[in-house]
Order: sequence, then structure tokens, then C-alpha cells
Amino acid sequence: MDIAQLIENLLQSLVAGVLTGSTYGLMCVGLTIIFGVMRVINFAQGEFMMLGMYFTYFCVNFLTRQFGLEGIYLPFVVAMLAGPVIYLFGDLLHRGLLNKVSGQQGSKLEAGGHYAQLVLTLGLALLLQNAGLYFFGSTPVSVSTSLSYTAWELGSPEGISVFINQAQSLAAILAVGVVLIFGFLIAKSRLGKSLRAAADNPDAAIYMGIDVERAHRIAFGFGVGITAIGGGLLASYAPFQPYIGTEYVIIMYAGVVLGGLGSIRGAFLGGLSIGILQQVSATLLPNQLQNTVIFVCFLAVILLRPNGFFGKSGRVA
Amino acid sequence: MLKLSNVYAGYGGVDVLHELTVEVQAGEFVAVVGPNGAGKSTLFKTISGLITPSSGSIEFLGQDLLAVSAAKRAHLGIAHVPEGRQVFASMTIYENLEMGAYTRAGQKHWQDNLEKIYNWFPILKERQSQLAGTLSGGQQQMLAIARGLAAHPKILLLDEPSMGLSPAIADEIFERLIDIHKNSDISLMLVEQRVAEALHFASRAYVLEAGRIILSGDQDALRDDDRIRQAYLGM
Ligand SMILES: Nc1ncnc2c1ncn2[C@@H]1O[C@H](COP(=O)(O)OP(=O)(O)OP(=O)(O)O)[C@@H](O)[C@H]1O
Ligand SMILES: [Mg+2]
Repeated sequence: MDIAQLIENLLQSLVAGVLTGSTYGLMCVGLTIIFGVMRVINFAQGEFMMLGMYFTYFCVNFLTRQFGLEGIYLPFVVAMLAGPVIYLFGDLLHRGLLNKVSGQQGSKLEAGGHYAQLVLTLGLALLLQNAGLYFFGSTPVSVSTSLSYTAWELGSPEGISVFINQAQSLAAILAVGVVLIFGFLIAKSRLGKSLRAAADNPDAAIYMGIDVERAHRIAFGFGVGITAIGGGLLASYAPFQPYIGTEYVIIMYAGVVLGGLGSIRGAFLGGLSIGILQQVSATLLPNQLQNTVIFVCFLAVILLRPNGFFGKSGRVA
Repeated sequence: MLKLSNVYAGYGGVDVLHELTVEVQAGEFVAVVGPNGAGKSTLFKTISGLITPSSGSIEFLGQDLLAVSAAKRAHLGIAHVPEGRQVFASMTIYENLEMGAYTRAGQKHWQDNLEKIYNWFPILKERQSQLAGTLSGGQQQMLAIARGLAAHPKILLLDEPSMGLSPAIADEIFERLIDIHKNSDISLMLVEQRVAEALHFASRAYVLEAGRIILSGDQDALRDDDRIRQAYLGM
């Protein structure tokens, strides 16, 4: 491989890394808001991403079949809708299940309810995977449009050219948009501030009149809804099956730990870095090592910088 | 306005408070004194709803408080300034005050209250965009009190506001409490280990020992009581 080829490959993977990494970043933000406010590690987060993907898949198919709706932007619009729909699902799950092992009720259990949370969210992950297998089947599907196969080409006189996939670009722009809006909501709105207060000091938040249980429910809804949007966006250019969550939950955790647990900005940058790392390592290393690199990086962060690189651990901001 | 009758309450099924009957009238400044572990903080947590009594009743402005969830009690006009300040460390002073004003009354009177608060505690205005976690102990205590005031409460529960502060700063805080009491119609309920000061400022006091009220009365009566003189005033 000559040097121009190598540079081209690296640039190409950098571009792909930034684009996919933006969507990873969005999903990491979903995970981190749950941890930041509720102190719950949600092992089922990948399955909410999977639900966002299938929601997008079935909605797009339905709208196309029933109403003849078509168009290259349809999957992206539907992916956004996955947010509120999965939010409501999260709201119900919190009321029925998570509520019982976290917050006030969790503090009465052993280890503040963390064992129960572990078992519950792992169980939920398995349940959702198997439900997915039962209802959606194991054949990989995709929601690709012509955008998925269209790219802009950037070329230089030296003959180096880089392709920028259009579906990935649109997904990345939307992901960044959602992160910015959500970050603004958390930083500036009354609701966002009450979530931060509930995360910072739950007892004091109650003294202020903040319903901390409701704050947890909202954070959980937001967290799974945001990750589902990420799933929907990812679905617009990558095929998936019901077990895809397992693969991505590692990516999400790596991103969140890299960014410093609980920090929104950090989670986004963490996810972005993982995306870049994944793509760049794929050009330099054999394909099978792609996820290994993420793991190694994850362990290195835990050993060297347990508070992450981009945010202050434990702070929702 | 606030009345606890025969309240038993504690942690994990073990009562810490026994047969507690305590009352605060509108506009009153009442102190609760007693040694470490007597149950003073537990009393406040019971009033603000973090702890549910095993028996007894609590009435606030004619309403059964036990039928009201903890988070809703703040909206009725109960502001709890907890032991150890408990400010929102990762939020700015201004945001802490905004959280204090989370109650309906607090939102309605936000501008007025903010002005009053900044008058009483000018340092909070100067530092309003500083993170609360980076403040000194005394400043955090001022913020905790200010945050309580921002709720536009009818009663302010103050749990050892002088804890861990130098005598000079503690005096400043007490002076501020007197100002607040004089210039507002907020009732104050103060838990203190600095018994002499507490008895000096409050019009009435309860003495709590091992979870029971062993003595109560107005300022003068308590200051002249031999048991108080020996045990708390060192006379
Ligand atoms: N979270 C808790 N769980 C179990 N027991 C507790 C808890 N908090 C306090 N206690 C017990 O309740 C009793 C009263 O505690 P409380 O904090 O109300 O005392 P206090 O009068 O406020 O003391 P101090 O002056 O030291 O603040 C103590 O025996 C304490 O050990
Ligand atoms: Mg105490």
C-alpha cells in the first residue's frame, strides 16, 4: 500500500468515524442521563436502541404500504418519532419495574438496590431480545433508501478522494441537533435544572418541592427515547437484527466511561471518539479486532482515568 | 400553624422519637435544643416528610400533613434548611436559589425574594454564578438559608445553621436570622447545639433528650431552669 493510498484510507475512515461517532454520541447521551440522574446502570440500553431501529423499520414500511408515503427523508423523520414513543415505553417501565428497585424504594434494598437493578436491567435486556426475535424474526433487515448508497466525493489534485455518505451525514447532523437541544434543555430549562438538582442531592431536591421519583421517570424516558432515536438514525444506513443491542451496549458504555459518567458533553464526545477509533482501527488492523480495540480502550480508561476525559464524573451538565 | 401530636418516628422500624408533641404558632421563633443523637434532625425530617411517623399526627395550617407527599409539603410552605447545608454542589448559587423557588409561591414572588435575599446576603449576589460546591462553609450555610427563603415559605426549619462555623460567622448567621424574623412573617423553627444563643433569640424552646421532650417553655423560664443552666449553659 503506497502512502497516498494510506492517507486516503485514513481520511476516509476518519470521515466515517466522525459520522457514525455522532450517532454513537447521541446514544451515549441517552445512557448517561439515566446514570447521572438515577444512578442506575441500564444494561438494557442497547435493546432500546434496537426498539428504535425496528420502530423505524415497521413505521416506514407501514407508511409506504398504507399511504404510499415514500422518500429519502422518511426514515429520518420516523427515527425522530421513535424518541417520544420509546419515551412513553420507558415511562411505563419505570412506573412498573425500575421504580421498585431505584430511588427511595431502592435505598431500602441491599447495596442501595444496585444488585436488584443489575438483575432487573439484564433481565429486561434478555426479555426484549427474545421478544424481538419472536416478533421480528432473526433475519437482518434494513431501512435503506437511495441516500444510503449516495455519497459526496471530495477529491484533491494529488488523486486522493474521500467519499461522504449522505445517509450517514444526515443522521450525524440530526444526532448533533438532538444532543444540542437536549443539552440546552438540561442546562437552561426549569425541568432540566430540577433533574440536575435531583441528581445532585435527592433529599435536598425533595425539600425544594421537586418530585424526585418523577424526575427519575423523566430521566429514564429521555434516556431510552434518545438512544432509540440514535437507533433509528443508525438503521437508515446499517442492517440490524434483534441481538444488535448487545454489540452496541459495549460501544455505549465505552463512550460514556470515556466521557466521564453523568456528563452529557462528555458522553457525546466519548461516543464520537469511539466511532473514530472503531473506523480508524479498521483500516489499520484486521477486521476481527475492531471491537477488541474498543474494549482495550475501555479498560485503559478505567485504569488510567476513571473519571473520564471530557467531563466531571457524576455531574449532569 | 404547625402541630405535631404524639408522634413516634424513626428508621427501619425502630422509633427514635417518642410521644412527641410540638407546636409552632404563626410568626413564632421556636428553638429545639438537645444533645447529639437526641433526634432533632429526625424531627425535622419527619416534618418535611422524608420519614413517615409510625404513629401520631402532624397538622399544618389545619391540614393533615401525613396525607401530603414529601415533595408536596414544600409547596404548602414548609422550607427545610437541612443539617450540613446540602446545597446543590454542582449548580451555581443562582441556580440553587432558583431551585429554592421551585414552589408555586416561590416562583410567584421570585423577584421580590431575590432582592431581599441579596440584601441579607450580599456575598451571594457577588458570587451568583459560582458553583455552590466551591463556596466556603459559611457561604454555603448562607446559601442554604437563602435557598429556603426563596421558596417563599410560611415556616423555615433550620437544622444547626452554626454547625462547623467559626464563632464570628455563626454570629453573623444568627444576626441574619433575627433580621429575617423581624422583617418577614415567616415562622422559624431552629435546632441548635449553641443553646445559649438559641434561648436568647427564640421566644420559646423545647428541650429534646433521647427522643422525648423533657422540658419546654418560654425563653426566661428555660434560662432560669436549673437543669438547663447546668446541662447546657454551664452555669
Ligand atoms: N439514617 C438513619 N438510619 C438509622 N438511624 C439513624 C439515621 N439517622 C439518625 N439515626 C439515629 O437516630 C437518632 C437521632 O438522630 P438525629 O440525627 O435525629 O439526632 P440529632 O439530634 O439531630 O443529632 P445531632 O445533634 O448530632 O445532629 C440517633 O441515635 C441516630 O443514630
Ligand atoms: Mg442533627
